[in-house]
Amino acid sequence: MQKISRRKILKLMLSGAVSVAAVPFLEACQVKSTPTSQAPSATNPPPVHTPGATATQEPTPTAVNYPGLAVARKGQPEALVRAAVDALGGMTRFVPQNGWVIIKPNICIDYHSYEYASTTNPWVVGGLVKMCFEAGAGKVQVMDSPFGGTAASAYKNSGIAEQVELNGGEMVQMPTFKFKEISIANALSLNNVEIYEDVFKADALINVPIAKNHGMATLTLGMKNLMGLITNRGAIHKDFGNRLTDLAMTIRPALTVIDAVRILLRNGPTGGDLDDVQQMDTVIASPDIVAADAYASSLFGLLPEHLDYVVVGNQAGLGEKDLSRIEIKEILLES
Amino acid sequence: MKAKTSPWVGARKTAQAVAFAAWILLWVKTAGYTWPAGWIQLPARLDPLLALAVMIASRAVIAALLLSLLVVGLTLIFGRAWCGWLCPVGTLLDWIPLRRRKGAQKALPEYLRKGKYILLTVILIAALFGNLSLLPLDPITLWIRTLSGGVAPALNTAFTAAEKFLAQFGFLGNALQWLDQVVRPALLPLEAVGTRLVWLPVLIFSAVVLLNLLAERFWCRYLCPLGGLLGWLSRFALVKRQVSGDCTHCGACARACPTGTIDPARGFQSDPAECTMCMNCLGSCAARQTRFSPALPKPVRMAYDPGRRDFMISGAVALAGLAVVESGAALHHAPTNLLRPPGVDLEKFLQECLRCGLCTRTCPTGALHPAITEAGLSGFFTPVLVPRLGYCQYSCNLCGQACPSGAIPALTLEEKRQQVIGHAFIDENRCIPWADGTTCIVCEEMCPLPDKAIILEDKEILQPDGSSGILKLPHVLRERCIGCGICEYRCPQTGEAAIRVHRIEG
Repeated sequence: MQKISRRKILKLMLSGAVSVAAVPFLEACQVKSTPTSQAPSATNPPPVHTPGATATQEPTPTAVNYPGLAVARKGQPEALVRAAVDALGGMTRFVPQNGWVIIKPNICIDYHSYEYASTTNPWVVGGLVKMCFEAGAGKVQVMDSPFGGTAASAYKNSGIAEQVELNGGEMVQMPTFKFKEISIANALSLNNVEIYEDVFKADALINVPIAKNHGMATLTLGMKNLMGLITNRGAIHKDFGNRLTDLAMTIRPALTVIDAVRILLRNGPTGGDLDDVQQMDTVIASPDIVAADAYASSLFGLLPEHLDYVVVGNQAGLGEKDLSRIEIKEILLES
Repeated sequence: MKAKTSPWVGARKTAQAVAFAAWILLWVKTAGYTWPAGWIQLPARLDPLLALAVMIASRAVIAALLLSLLVVGLTLIFGRAWCGWLCPVGTLLDWIPLRRRKGAQKALPEYLRKGKYILLTVILIAALFGNLSLLPLDPITLWIRTLSGGVAPALNTAFTAAEKFLAQFGFLGNALQWLDQVVRPALLPLEAVGTRLVWLPVLIFSAVVLLNLLAERFWCRYLCPLGGLLGWLSRFALVKRQVSGDCTHCGACARACPTGTIDPARGFQSDPAECTMCMNCLGSCAARQTRFSPALPKPVRMAYDPGRRDFMISGAVALAGLAVVESGAALHHAPTNLLRPPGVDLEKFLQECLRCGLCTRTCPTGALHPAITEAGLSGFFTPVLVPRLGYCQYSCNLCGQACPSGAIPALTLEEKRQQVIGHAFIDENRCIPWADGTTCIVCEEMCPLPDKAIILEDKEILQPDGSSGILKLPHVLRERCIGCGICEYRCPQTGEAAIRVHRIEG
């Protein structure tokens, strides 16, 4: 047999490798088709676009006394989130010019579409992306680390990827190398935890949980949603109230927006039965994560005291659980 | 002096490179299932040995596998061109620069060439008895399993280590992001998945490669059962190598032949069953007396061709082997944690599974792994679900779509969600709330069923300090549980999970 030179072998291998490597590139060049599965339905009409709405709502420099919490009811998801955030002084209060924003919805599984209320409403997330850019944000990234299914499929099946990309945001699959070990000084219980480092580098973190039933936490809301930004989540489940408080003291979102457009009453956090879902058409927004969670408990007929982490978080000075002590702005969009 | 080559040699080398790239591409695309089923299944569907053995064992015609008649047809025209031009294992053996230095050793005895026929016969006789234990020796299953079970995990480890290293250098941020978000998902499952015994497929393939040190293409000459089948068909092939009378007996062709089948003692004739149609002899022939042209099928009997005696030996080996393998299976109860992919018919699975490993490659959560010893020798390298390494994803039905023989049925997502793989059982001696009295509800949280199969019972417990508190204790509702294993996978107990999936009949 004729001898093949090393050079020739390398050449052949290289040509093979190049053709393999070229495929994703060629695929990327294709025009992306729009998935049809998340088409707006009668129960969830497409968001109403109100260009220029924010311009009239610019906070005046003198109006420094913003309400501590805002609740918007009865309207389209995007209108609700816009009304709630505007009541707090608008997105410019939370997002610096040209700033880098990370939005953290709850995209815990890839099993169901948004109707099942196991993942955050796509139009609430999409609305926030849009508002961030309107407020002058330079870069808006959206991410979560699902426990059921891969990030890519969960982003797609939840309908969130479509709305985020439509509004110019970027879906990010969190790479493992970006989780860095953090030591928490004066921790109640959680001394060390690996946290996605970009949340500390970004200019603002917006926390967008969906209000859901949860076996241990009773409800999963704003504080619990932060667990999607760490690696060893099993560790939090022990001594839950204290450790979750430690985590929320470390990761400080600029704004927590609780999506209660649909809430999951039973069989959470995964869901899967529409009978367990209740349509509330409500969005709660607050820079105070404890207050937001405390308010959301009322949607389930509970008191803030029923939520261990709200009680501990309040004691630790993370936020206010007594809703009578903060100003709450309630907005009814439609009668 | 530079050896003369023929344009046919160039054509063959190009075909090998293109085919090899295609094999790799097909394998890459099997993960996450980005291509349609017909393409994903192609490697296994082209293999006539897999088709023949499985159809004999399962006593059924499997339409999808009839595609392999293309390769049979190719062989009946061009001989073992599959081996010389297309087979990924053969191509690798040509490329890897490990081969016996010519003339450095005495040639191996010719009777060793019987090996592949004996192996083939043993496989087919065992198949007659419904046993497919030796299919892992088929070159296509060998190829897929080596990539999936060895190369992919190693690549994954290398990627993760490289990323961790590069992440120290801030200025590489964007390149790193591209590597992780674009390159990595194109090659590997999107998320790192659990693996086990990575070295085993690598070791087996390394042995195949190292045998090249004894003789060029040792595997193809002496062992490959598919080569045996195609070699037997090649005796009837239309196009054959011929040497004309003006041969100068220079011996260049015999030296160029990678399978050593050109025999100076027989006037530099060759055995069509051994010739891989590589065309090296054509290029080497100074007198241009070698031709490949249509010839009437007139099989020449070689001394090493299997005879009645070899057939009897193969039969005896097969039967003895079967007795050993099957008695092992009969004496023991199957372990209850031997879990199969969703929807398989356990009675027929071992007769239908090709051992091709496509399902283990396509599984996005790394739940499916080739069995090592847990399924017995007759189940060696058949897929098993190992929940501690990966769970069966509630929104996935890819394994059934990828299975070329239908051993794992292609189910709709709705159907697949109804399949019971097993049932979860809580080990109360190790479960955190049961054993330690502290809170943990992870299994309940993870359960994907709309009506959760794990419920929490509020139980009042006495704390060591005398106060009482409420503890949530998980219970499995067996009639709801489908055994997807996400509870076992996510159980925070260290080592073995405190909730485990078992298949218990009745």
